[in-house]
Amino acid sequence: MSLFLHYLSLPYLLQGIELTLQVTALGLIGGLILGLWLAAMQLSRFWLLAAFARGYTVIFRGTPLILQMVFAYDALPHIGIKLPAVMAAGLALACNEAPFIAEMLRAGVLGVDRGQIAAGQALGMTPSVLMRRIIAPQAIRTMIPAFGNESVSALKNSSLASVIAVQELTLRSTQLASSTFDFFSIFFASGLLYLVLTGAVAAIQLALEWLLDLDRASRQRRLADYLPWRRVDLTAKPSSACGKMKEMTPGLALTPSPALTEADRARRAATVARNNIAVEVKDLRKRYDAQSVLNGLDLTVRIGEVLALLGPSGSGKSTLLRCINHLESWDGGTIRVGGRRLGFGDDGKRLSPRAIANERAHVGVGMVFQQFNLFSHLTAKENIAGPLRWVHGASRTDADRRARELLERVGLSHRADALPRHLSGGQQQRVAIARALAPNPSVLLLDEPTSALDPELVNEVLEVIRRLAIDDGLTMIISTHQLRFADEVADRVAFLSDGRILEEGPAHEVLSNPRHPMTARFLSVVDADRTPEPAR
Amino acid sequence: MQNWLFLKAGRAWVAALAAIVATGFLMPAGSQAATPAGCTALQTKYPEWKGKTLVNAINPHTPGYEAIDPNDPSKYVGFDIDIGEAIGDCLGFKLTYKPVTFAALLTTLASGQADIVISDIYATKERAKAADFITYSKVFDGVLVAKGNPKGIHGIDMTMCGAAAAENTGFVEVPLVQDLMPKCKAEGKAEPTLQLYDNNANCIQAILAGRADTYVNDVNTVDQAVKANPDKLEKAIAVTIPYSVGIAVPKDKPQFRDAVMAALIEVQKAGIHMELLKKWELDVNNFKEPDILVAD
Repeated sequence: MSLFLHYLSLPYLLQGIELTLQVTALGLIGGLILGLWLAAMQLSRFWLLAAFARGYTVIFRGTPLILQMVFAYDALPHIGIKLPAVMAAGLALACNEAPFIAEMLRAGVLGVDRGQIAAGQALGMTPSVLMRRIIAPQAIRTMIPAFGNESVSALKNSSLASVIAVQELTLRSTQLASSTFDFFSIFFASGLLYLVLTGAVAAIQLALEWLLDLDRASRQRRLADYLPWRRVDLTAKPSSACGKMKEMTPGLALTPSPALTEADRARRAATVARNNIAVEVKDLRKRYDAQSVLNGLDLTVRIGEVLALLGPSGSGKSTLLRCINHLESWDGGTIRVGGRRLGFGDDGKRLSPRAIANERAHVGVGMVFQQFNLFSHLTAKENIAGPLRWVHGASRTDADRRARELLERVGLSHRADALPRHLSGGQQQRVAIARALAPNPSVLLLDEPTSALDPELVNEVLEVIRRLAIDDGLTMIISTHQLRFADEVADRVAFLSDGRILEEGPAHEVLSNPRHPMTARFLSVVDADRTPEPAR
Repeated sequence: MQNWLFLKAGRAWVAALAAIVATGFLMPAGSQAATPAGCTALQTKYPEWKGKTLVNAINPHTPGYEAIDPNDPSKYVGFDIDIGEAIGDCLGFKLTYKPVTFAALLTTLASGQADIVISDIYATKERAKAADFITYSKVFDGVLVAKGNPKGIHGIDMTMCGAAAAENTGFVEVPLVQDLMPKCKAEGKAEPTLQLYDNNANCIQAILAGRADTYVNDVNTVDQAVKANPDKLEKAIAVTIPYSVGIAVPKDKPQFRDAVMAALIEVQKAGIHMELLKKWELDVNNFKEPDILVAD
């Protein structure tokens, strides 16, 4: 025991820790830099880069670290690269860590909800803004435990540097054991020293998890919750505010706008008819592999017009909306928004993702998704203000003012600082609508905005949309199954089936007197299934 | 030839004795003799290494030859360390040390990560393909066994059939044990098995843990192991191995090789070599006048 304590406090061994940490740090930092490159290459659009990164991963993940150490130390000098032992060990460890870190990064990036990425793209974020503001902050949070693992593993792997003469803890222990024959006291001591080091890594990991915990700000999470014997669900936390209880939101007095009379409708129709064309779709065709989704679809929407897209699931409604915003590419036909071919240069060539993003922001096509797709790491206010700053270059003050103004309009000023997961579905969708409106889009696309909501939450969202249509005169294309809502709000409805428009015309007319038998059948089925009871 | 060598050895032994008597016990233990007189001439003849610091790759797991100082682990001590520094003194260079596994000694030298290897390495024709050797010591191996020699092992011979032999990766004893395998088989006995380890300490631990029956290595190393574990280990016998211990230098530096050899001769002439054998309690019969061993 006294021997064990003697070796535990022996400066010779303690100094070895310094080199152990140096090699580990070189390996982790180098591995992170290399890993970032590898992950970026694997995720890139260019197959050659991806193939190269794959090849690297196969080689460096598939060969033992000890061989890589010896190679860096003994083989590189033959081609004129003579690194000091610590550097050679750091290089080998970095090269070895890189593919593992790259896979973690890739998993983290791919793990971010695709819907949020589509929402970011629809808001006009360039790929780099998306990565920096949406993907990275969420990916990093999910990757911390894996990084903790990797750091511990790198720390232990640094002991292999002992084979290339780095005087780290393991090499010092073996030498000391050889010269003193106190084999076991020495290895117990060095084992304990390793344990202290890896324990420190674990502590850093927990502290980081705590620091980056989004719920920390709400003071409902304490560091102690991370101790292993505490049983606290760290992932999602129900909030009293998001309960299913009917919440009459202040600010959004749910007194609906008065329904339009026949005369109002006629006046509106006449005005709209004189307006310029907002969206023009000609002969649009798209297939997914063997299945064709859009079959020569033609559509014109004028400024100030509200068009409701009806049709069974799979009829192409969502695809059409995603094409208008160029979130999807298509095989034939043209789409013009505000007279411009979104996504194509003047020469008709397809633009880069970055250029498309800039154009989306410039032309102003807002989009609201069925699944809300709020950025889950940002508060309601930041969901609105963030894109204004990152895409449109608004100042923090201006962006915040606009966000508050819009939250008030959708009746959610009191939830400005809540995270999406603490909001009900209806509240989330209202925030999503506010987010889409923030940059003053010329057209707003709504893709089944109430389909994912519980029935009692549908009306608060419909009411917000109704106001946009009637009070603000916003150009909107809405795909929906809410017939009564379509009747009240839309100027026109178009009935889609098998990727083309079967029937279109003034909303009230088509809905009450469908000409096509398919339309009639669809309307009767939907009407029987669900008749939304507007909150009156 | 043999006689001549013995004669020379004997003469050197006498010279060394004389030196010890001359310098006497006045010299504090551990201190070294002054730089031999002939060295001044050598430094003029081979000026290239004067004032330099060279790297000596060692496998520091052999107390007596090279191991860290248990009292000051920042230092390496042992016969090889002292003789290397005596040669360095003579040619005017200093040495730093790079601890590597035994099997990596010559690789480290060949890659240029070290300038010289003085680490109780036996000079063989096979190894001479990787480095040039200046031999400086005869080899006597000891057979380390558990106390009481329960398996009755007396060398790398028929007594080892069926036994488990621990060896260091890259040691010359490894092929000798391998050669024994077919012989045992021919006699209808079980073949010996080989366990390869990274360093002496692990080989010794293998016997202490009952995993191996024997470990054949330099007799001094074996003696040290017995001294550390007198109630668990013993030396069965000393055997002669047909090799010499050598200093390895890069193949592409014949001038350096010649300089080291010349310096070693001066060190031996001054009696330092013999004095160091005694200081480290090694058998003075190990003494050998230098020869050069290179690949054919």
